[in-house]
Amino acid sequence: MSFEYIKIGKEEKEFISKIEDISGQNLYACYQCGKCTAGCSFSNQMDLTVNQVIHRLQLGQKEKVLSAKSPWVCASCLTCTVRCPRDIDVAAIMESVREYILRYEPERIERMKVTGEKAKNLPNIALVGSFRKNTEL
Amino acid sequence: MKYSYFPGCNLKTNAKEYEHTAVEVSKILDAELVEMPVFNCCGTVHSMASDNTMRRIAPVRILSRSEEHQKELEDTNNTVVTLCSMCSSTLKVVNEEVKEDEEMLQKINWQLERDNLKYSGHSEVKHYLEILRDEVGFEEIVKKVKKQLKGMKVASYYGCMLLHPDKAKIDDSETPTVMETLTLALGAEVVDWPYFKTCCGSYHVVDKEDIVNNQILKITEGAKKRGANAIITACPLCAYNLDSQQVFLQKKGIIKETIPIFYFTQLMAIALGIKLENFEDHHVDPKPLLKSLGLI
Repeated sequence: MSFEYIKIGKEEKEFISKIEDISGQNLYACYQCGKCTAGCSFSNQMDLTVNQVIHRLQLGQKEKVLSAKSPWVCASCLTCTVRCPRDIDVAAIMESVREYILRYEPERIERMKVTGEKAKNLPNIALVGSFRKNTEL
Repeated sequence: MKYSYFPGCNLKTNAKEYEHTAVEVSKILDAELVEMPVFNCCGTVHSMASDNTMRRIAPVRILSRSEEHQKELEDTNNTVVTLCSMCSSTLKVVNEEVKEDEEMLQKINWQLERDNLKYSGHSEVKHYLEILRDEVGFEEIVKKVKKQLKGMKVASYYGCMLLHPDKAKIDDSETPTVMETLTLALGAEVVDWPYFKTCCGSYHVVDKEDIVNNQILKITEGAKKRGANAIITACPLCAYNLDSQQVFLQKKGIIKETIPIFYFTQLMAIALGIKLENFEDHHVDPKPLLKSLGLI
């Protein structure tokens, strides 16, 4: 069994309040019931489940959240948001993590590299949606 | 009755047949969709960041342009009608947001000034399914049906954006019935299934196709297992993902049989006696099914 020292200092608190500002949500409203994760269409693809992401955020563990794949797997289907018993806009919290990263590293997808036959056939809404979620545009 | 109709970008490219059938059907039902003379992209996905006004400008621009259009139309009300469910959700969310937040509306209107536009905040956004249910009525549709869709076993796929978030839902978000009732009205059989709002993977098709394939496999196999021979949807992106990725999965040998994907308006058009010829948006050919049932 391994143990980890949990520190909630100035840096952690700043991170927490930044995420709360962007999402407009209170992270501590979450009581970790796990309903978001249970209903998530993509739980099996995520390295941190949805409630785990929120738990790490509550503890201000910036590195763990920012290095997780989960916020980028989330497709904003909003099932978690409509089901949360605490009325938290869970998808907005996922979005705020993406936004936080994009405000420092603006490109998660190289737009110029989306080319070829497939790109020609892709619906406009797929391209606009993807670029809006993966770049700061 | 006429409605100011916002097509969005996809109805002009990948989903032409969706628009064509919807407009034709709307004329028969006397709830005509009249296209806005000027429109722009809504931005597809609404911003969930509380501090991003920029992404809320495009939808408000559309709402203001629709208000101009409503003034020109006779026999209309303050409704903007959409067909694409992503447009529907984005416009509805932003419409509610600016109605609640006057300061944000003022800021955005200031941006629209240079185009001589101003949004009053008095429009309502509705998806065409809502018009069919609330203003036309299913009884009226039943009366207009010329050809019952006998033999079609239809799984209704709502996707996410017709039912989420609460500000944008067109029906109960956990037990919707609008598409099922429409299916019954057209004389087809309803298939009860659990994947009606399992996300298709959405825009991940651009760079994370694996995620989408995983979802499509679940959704289409789920429909077939329960005896469906067709899936209907209202979203051009759901339709594209369900359709194109099935062909991909079949080529890879992961699935044997495919199931055709229709827009709900295509089935309405067939039932109301409009001759359908153009199936070029489809990846899975729907003609064998329609021919075997004597519907085309």
